[in-house]
Amino acid sequence: MPDFARAQLRRQRINFGLFLGPALVLLFLFFVAPIVIDLGLAFTDMGRTLRVSQFTLENFERMFTRDTRLLGALGITFIFVVTTLGVFNVTFALLLALVTTAVPPRLGAFFRAVWLLPRMSPSVVYALLWLWVVDPNERGLLNQIVVHVFGLPPVDLRNNHPLLVIILANGFIGASLGMLIFTSAIRSIPEHLFHAARVDGAGSLAIVRHVTLPALRWPISYMTIHQTLSLLVSFEYILLITAGGPFYDTTVFSLYAYRRAFESGDYAYGAALSLILVVIGVVAALAMWRLMDMQRLLQPARIEVH
Amino acid sequence: MAAVDSIAGGAVEARADWQALARRAWRTRFTGQSALLAFLVVVSVPILLPYFWMVVIAFTARTGGVASDVLWTACAVIVPAVLIYSVVHMSVGSRRLRLAIGITLVAIAGTLLLALVGGKLHLDNFRFLTRANFVEELRTKATSGRQFPSVWTAFSNSLALALSQTVIILTVASLAGYYISRFAFRGRNVFLQGLLVLHAFPAMTLIIPIFLMLYWIGLLDTIIGVMLVLAAIELPFYVFVMKGFFDGVPWDIEMSAMTDGATRRQAFRLVVLPQVRVGLIAVAVFAFIRAWEEYIFVRTFLIENTNWVMSLYLFWVADDVMGVDYGIVAAVAVFYVLPSLLLYVFCQKYLTQMTIGGIKG
Amino acid sequence: MARVELKNLRKEWLGATAAVAGVDLAIEDGAFVAVLGPSGCGKTTTLMMLAGIYQPTSGEITFDGARVNDVEARGRNVGIVFQSYALYPNMSVLDNVMFPLRFKTIERTEAERRAREIAALVRVDGLLDRRPSQLSGGQQQRVALARALVKRPHLLLLDEPLSNLDAGLRLTMRTEIRRIQRELGVTTILVTHDQIEATTMADRVVVMNGGRVEQEGAADDLYERPDTLFVASFIGSPPINLFEGQADAGVAKFHEATITLSEPVRGPVVLGIRPESLQAAERGTPARVTAAEPMGREVLYTADSAFGVIRFLEAGAEPRHREGDNVHLDFSPASALLFDKASGRRMDARIAV
Repeated sequence: MPDFARAQLRRQRINFGLFLGPALVLLFLFFVAPIVIDLGLAFTDMGRTLRVSQFTLENFERMFTRDTRLLGALGITFIFVVTTLGVFNVTFALLLALVTTAVPPRLGAFFRAVWLLPRMSPSVVYALLWLWVVDPNERGLLNQIVVHVFGLPPVDLRNNHPLLVIILANGFIGASLGMLIFTSAIRSIPEHLFHAARVDGAGSLAIVRHVTLPALRWPISYMTIHQTLSLLVSFEYILLITAGGPFYDTTVFSLYAYRRAFESGDYAYGAALSLILVVIGVVAALAMWRLMDMQRLLQPARIEVH
Repeated sequence: MAAVDSIAGGAVEARADWQALARRAWRTRFTGQSALLAFLVVVSVPILLPYFWMVVIAFTARTGGVASDVLWTACAVIVPAVLIYSVVHMSVGSRRLRLAIGITLVAIAGTLLLALVGGKLHLDNFRFLTRANFVEELRTKATSGRQFPSVWTAFSNSLALALSQTVIILTVASLAGYYISRFAFRGRNVFLQGLLVLHAFPAMTLIIPIFLMLYWIGLLDTIIGVMLVLAAIELPFYVFVMKGFFDGVPWDIEMSAMTDGATRRQAFRLVVLPQVRVGLIAVAVFAFIRAWEEYIFVRTFLIENTNWVMSLYLFWVADDVMGVDYGIVAAVAVFYVLPSLLLYVFCQKYLTQMTIGGIKG
Repeated sequence: MARVELKNLRKEWLGATAAVAGVDLAIEDGAFVAVLGPSGCGKTTTLMMLAGIYQPTSGEITFDGARVNDVEARGRNVGIVFQSYALYPNMSVLDNVMFPLRFKTIERTEAERRAREIAALVRVDGLLDRRPSQLSGGQQQRVALARALVKRPHLLLLDEPLSNLDAGLRLTMRTEIRRIQRELGVTTILVTHDQIEATTMADRVVVMNGGRVEQEGAADDLYERPDTLFVASFIGSPPINLFEGQADAGVAKFHEATITLSEPVRGPVVLGIRPESLQAAERGTPARVTAAEPMGREVLYTADSAFGVIRFLEAGAEPRHREGDNVHLDFSPASALLFDKASGRRMDARIAV
């Protein structure tokens, strides 16, 4: 090989290592490796001692036959995901997007900013605010209104209706992302279409039905899948607000795995439970990838000269 | 021709009463907009009120009390002021007049507030900033044997975590994003697809194996460990973002730099990087805020209280003290939120530049 | 059908100069009027105000004498064809055309009948099941036209209807639109920047510039008697030759040429001579050809003359003069136009005979 070509090849390799190397190392070490570890861990018997003594299918056996709490967790997960998704993340988000684009732009932007507050605040602060609002004694914000305005006895939402609380808390967060995406989609509808509809005689409701909603079909399906996945695996707010309680009353599947591992010390079992979520996650990620417009992201590179 | 007649003749019947139409149009437009606005206000109150309450409590509450009277008084002053101003805004056309009315309203509301609640304002709740053992002072004994570090320890830990994570992300994502944007290497498509899958993949499911891995490596309970994990998890997203920014830089700039004698790396450093300055700032701010607000990973991976970050600090303070003193907790919360809030407000226009394939993050 | 009047119409966008700065116009029932002007002259804004999409800042719009400023778009019974056609992408052609009828109290069968009828008139009846994305530009435009007409509008508005079409299609659609307008007799206002479109399709042409009406009238009126410099240079292709000069006591000097005027004019003036009014002849102003561009049916020559750089036309595909040739350009004094440079207005003074 002539010197020039060899030097170029060497430069190519160095560049590859220099530019992509760090990313590859970081991703493999802390993203890909854990997936593999989880796979292996699910088949061990690791407990509090953090030592592996044997490989076994015991975890899965426990999961499918002996674990009664699991069924409860599955039920709670189902109610939680379906309600939050259906009521807040998609429907309410759509409503917010439609309404904030129908009022003058500055006002719309202001209200959208307000609805972004929950998502933009640190989770601890947001959870703290919720705890204050639903505080069972008279100091809770909600109870102040209930007692002083309606004259009713104070309500204890945390203990009596914990599921409602986490649905609302997660719902506010979920609605804001959908609101952003739907608003951006609405804004990209060519204005002439609206003008044409107005001149054709359509009133506001008809315009929403015939011009706005058809253009939102794709964002809505994407959001539904994306948010379903997100609701299935995230438990941060639930952990902060109710810690999964009282007892296990608001423990969704993902939180259940976490609690089994870190509260009860059943690391292997927790890994096995997480494995289910990992599989769902991979499948959903692939499905969403199929759905998304990959052409632009996979555009061919500009140049080949090193 | 029949078609022509029916079409031409039809217009005669449509000669309408223009006055009535105009009146009806004005009415529906007014009621429609008012209804929409009312709806927005009603649903936004449950969000605004708690935040406002938190700020109020931080500055007025005393041990054992919650100072809700201050809150309602403040609302009673502010809400009518806002309502009056919005009516004025919609009916008065002249911008100068609106500004004048607005300023007078603010002045009136301000003096009213000062008169009514000014006396109750105090900074006592912020004593956690100077007195490290405020928890023991509140409870006769420290609960669950937990010792509280100084808030400044937590603050500096948070700062260290956020800054180092940001630096790592900026470097790694820029390098990788640039390479993907410019070079057609073998496996590029596979790499991109892999990144996409990782990006869509929910990282929280991996919290248990990551915990174990950190334990085995020996990085459990260290800021470095958390920082590496956070950086890795967010990386796919930021690589795409940086790639997007690099895609926007025309490659003839680099080509002319290279024909001028620069190597690839020099061209990258001297010519291309300055062009994506906006992207770099956006990524830096976003990554910083994200790390500042992180809770679940730090909770799982950090154990010793000298390693606490602000989010953990706030959580445990609330856990210990909330039944007794709302004020301090609120004050800590306000202190915690301030940096990210300031960043948001001042870097707004950078943050809105972030896109990934058309979907703004 | 309606008689439309615009009275001192103004539209100002917040903080910017007026897009429409006082327009007065009266359009008879059943007339076909073209509003002609360069981009940004306010013609599309005026159209949108007629449709009710934009609200005028001040001034009045009346249909048959009744003020309609406050009537919403959907109450005005106006049909509009946008430059982009704005067809609803998720509906079939038939549904697109039927769409306006949803908001009137008509039975579905009757609505479908009317839609098919208008589709036949506009000649898209074979495409009723297709989606807009499956249609060509010309077909999309006809569908847009059908949709605008199906509601039997008082007024038909066309925003640059031919600009997105290729040359051959343009010719066809020009005749089509003219035919349909004549058959239906609907008052039509067409907005365009193409003077050929304006002069060949409409009965009357309104020339707009900078938010105001420069001149209105029949096409040949505008051509032969332009009121302003702008109209003179906008109408006529190739554009009119303009020479700046100074006049004193009825004698005007342009570059190196001096001519006597019919009136004792004084001050800076502009002389306009159309390329088609000039002929290379035995006697006339001497000029030396610098370029010859064959344009199909005729040849456009550029030459240096005493007046300055001048352009003239000659019929025939082959150029008869070459670069460097000396010619004599003759023209009838009556065809030359004189303008006051400061105001841009045409003067009654002519070249003295």
